[in-house]
Amino acid sequence: MKQVVDTKTNSGSTGEADECLFEYLHAEIVNYVLSLSLNTKEGKEDLSRLEWMGFSVGYKIIERLTREWSRFKDELDMIKFICTDFWCSLYHKQIDNLRTNHHGVYVLQDNAFRLLDKVGTSNSKQYLPESPRLLAFTCGLLRGSLANLGIVSTVTAETSTLPSCKFHVQVQRV
Amino acid sequence: MTIHNLYIFSRNGLLLYYSEWNRLNKSGITKEEEAKLMYGMLFSIKSFVSKISPLDPKEGFLYYKTSKYTLHYFETPSGLKFVLNTDNATQNARELLQQLYREVYLEYVVKNPLCQLNEPIQSELFKLKVDELFKKSPLFLSRSL
Repeated sequence: MKQVVDTKTNSGSTGEADECLFEYLHAEIVNYVLSLSLNTKEGKEDLSRLEWMGFSVGYKIIERLTREWSRFKDELDMIKFICTDFWCSLYHKQIDNLRTNHHGVYVLQDNAFRLLDKVGTSNSKQYLPESPRLLAFTCGLLRGSLANLGIVSTVTAETSTLPSCKFHVQVQRV
Repeated sequence: MTIHNLYIFSRNGLLLYYSEWNRLNKSGITKEEEAKLMYGMLFSIKSFVSKISPLDPKEGFLYYKTSKYTLHYFETPSGLKFVLNTDNATQNARELLQQLYREVYLEYVVKNPLCQLNEPIQSELFKLKVDELFKKSPLFLSRSL
C-alpha cells in the first residue's frame, strides 16, 4: 500500500511553527537578558549582552548566506546584499529604504520591521520606550555580519513610530 | 444584526479584555463585579451542561438565547474564553470568535513580546484590531434597536 503524504503544504517558510519560533525565542532572550542586567545597572537598561549575542549570530550566519555568492565589489555592494538577500532570509522582506552619504554612514530603514510588527501602530506612542530592547539583537546581527565581511562598524537603531525603524551603520575607517 | 459586547477571560477566570458597541442596558455594577458574575455563570453552565448531557458532550456549551439577545461562547483548548453578546438574528458568531482568536489574539497578544499573558490586555494595537475586525464583520450593524 502506498501512502501519499503531502509535505509541501507544511514545509517551507510558510509554516506556522518556524515563523514564530524565532520570534518567541527572541522575546525570551530579551526577557532573560533584561532579568540578568536588572541588578547591575539602575535606571538604564543594559542591552550590550543582547547586542553581543546578535554579533556572534550575525558573524556565523553570513558564512552560510554568502556561500553561493561571488566576491563583493565594494562596501556598498555588501550593504546592498544585507538589505536584500540577508534581510529577506531573516525577516522575509527587504529593507524599504537605504541611504548613504558615501562616507561610511548608511541608514537602513524598514517600515514594518518584523519584531515590532505586532507591537504597535503609528498612531499610538505605546511601547515606544520599550522598543530599543527588541532592536538590540538585530543591531548586533548587522554588526556581526559586516564584521565577517571585513567591515568594522557601529550600528545603532532608532524608532520614532512603530513598527518602522532605522538602523544607522557607521563604518569605522582604519 | 447587532453585536453588543465582548468578554475575554483567561483560564483562571480573570477578565482579560472587555469591549462594548451597542449596549443599551447597563448592569449598574462595576465592570469587575460584572465580570465575576459573568464568569461564575459561565462556569456553572459549563459544568451543568457536561453533567446533564445524555450523550457525550463533545463541544459542551456553545450559546444560549433569551427573548432579546444571544450569548455565544467559545473556549480554546488552552482555556481561553471568548464571550460575545449579539441579537437573536445573528448567525456564524462562532466563526467570528474563532477568527478573533486566530487573527487578532494570537497575532497581537501572543506574538507581542511586551504583552504579558494572563493579564488584562493593554495593547492599543490589539484594541484597534478587535474594533476593526468587528466593524468590518457583516454581523456588525450599528443600527440602534
